[in-house]
Amino acid sequence: MKDFALMMIGAALVNNVILARFLGLCSFMGVTTRIDTAAGMGLATTFVITVSSMADWAVQHYLLDPYGLGFLRTVTFILVIASAVQFTEMTIKKVSPSLFQMLGIYLPLITTNCAVLGVALLLVEGHMSFVGSTLFAFASSLGYSLVMVIFAGLRERLALAQVPRLFAGPPIGFIVASLLAMAFMGFSGISTG
Amino acid sequence: MSRDIHTVEGIARVVGVDGATAWLEPEQTTSCGSCASAASCGSGSGSGATGIGTVANRIAARRFALDNAAGLAVGERVVIGVDHRALIKGALTAYGLPLLLALGAGGSAEAAWGNDLASMAAMAAGLLLGLLAARTVAGRLGARGELEPRFLRRARPGETCSGSVA
Repeated sequence: MKDFALMMIGAALVNNVILARFLGLCSFMGVTTRIDTAAGMGLATTFVITVSSMADWAVQHYLLDPYGLGFLRTVTFILVIASAVQFTEMTIKKVSPSLFQMLGIYLPLITTNCAVLGVALLLVEGHMSFVGSTLFAFASSLGYSLVMVIFAGLRERLALAQVPRLFAGPPIGFIVASLLAMAFMGFSGISTG
Repeated sequence: MSRDIHTVEGIARVVGVDGATAWLEPEQTTSCGSCASAASCGSGSGSGATGIGTVANRIAARRFALDNAAGLAVGERVVIGVDHRALIKGALTAYGLPLLLALGAGGSAEAAWGNDLASMAAMAAGLLLGLLAARTVAGRLGARGELEPRFLRRARPGETCSGSVA
């Protein structure tokens, strides 16, 4: 239990997907203009990363490893992720058409989010159990969501600030992102994940 | 024009009017805000492709009805909105609830049997149970009208969901 907890803290904070591994930067800059949309995107990505990591673990251990098909890993994982997104989209539409109207906008964007594939490939290197790899994926995506919401909050404040014209918009966004990454470096040493 | 910070806004186009009901399709937004490759990129709306899996198909699938008290006409662009709390509630219901039940079931199976196959089966069962629970909760939210988008105003020419006017 303690190992799982340390591994999750390491995945979420120390080796944060966005600020330490530099994955998912497209959505990090593109969908963080408001806290609520960032939170919606973060939760959708959390769901897809966790579900696709479950499927990826099964594919890796029952198909790719036994038949020596490791060279097809990246292509296979991309297929699994695209299928997971389609599954999620169809399920949400079936579960509640109203929710689909509201949240469906985020789902197609996740297919091309490199954080999803990045986490799946990291799991293979980790050689973890099924529950361990799922919890690692869940914690990594929670870290992703946390950073998205924090950055969206900062950008909402920035929108009200008087920023010099030269730095207005994306430039000040990148500067704030780098400062946030430096702040997250403070978590180094808590756990090696 | 100031924006209501408690409402998440989006742009939609009226594609049909049926008596007192207007049918709208949301305009496509991208995570990247488009780029020079937009014409050949799947996330751009300028590709013009139709059929299963295309942007046009996805937008058509998200067509929704709205009370046409404002007298909207086909082709008009309007700004619609949902309460920001409804967005968070909806996301937690659709994604959070199934995930929590799946992880809870998988963790319990791991603690009980310590077997990957048992954990996998338990997690899949928990996910299905969570989706059923999400359906019930979403039904209650929908019955209270919390998930319905509402008409805010007609969009200005060139207005986008980020507020810019060309």
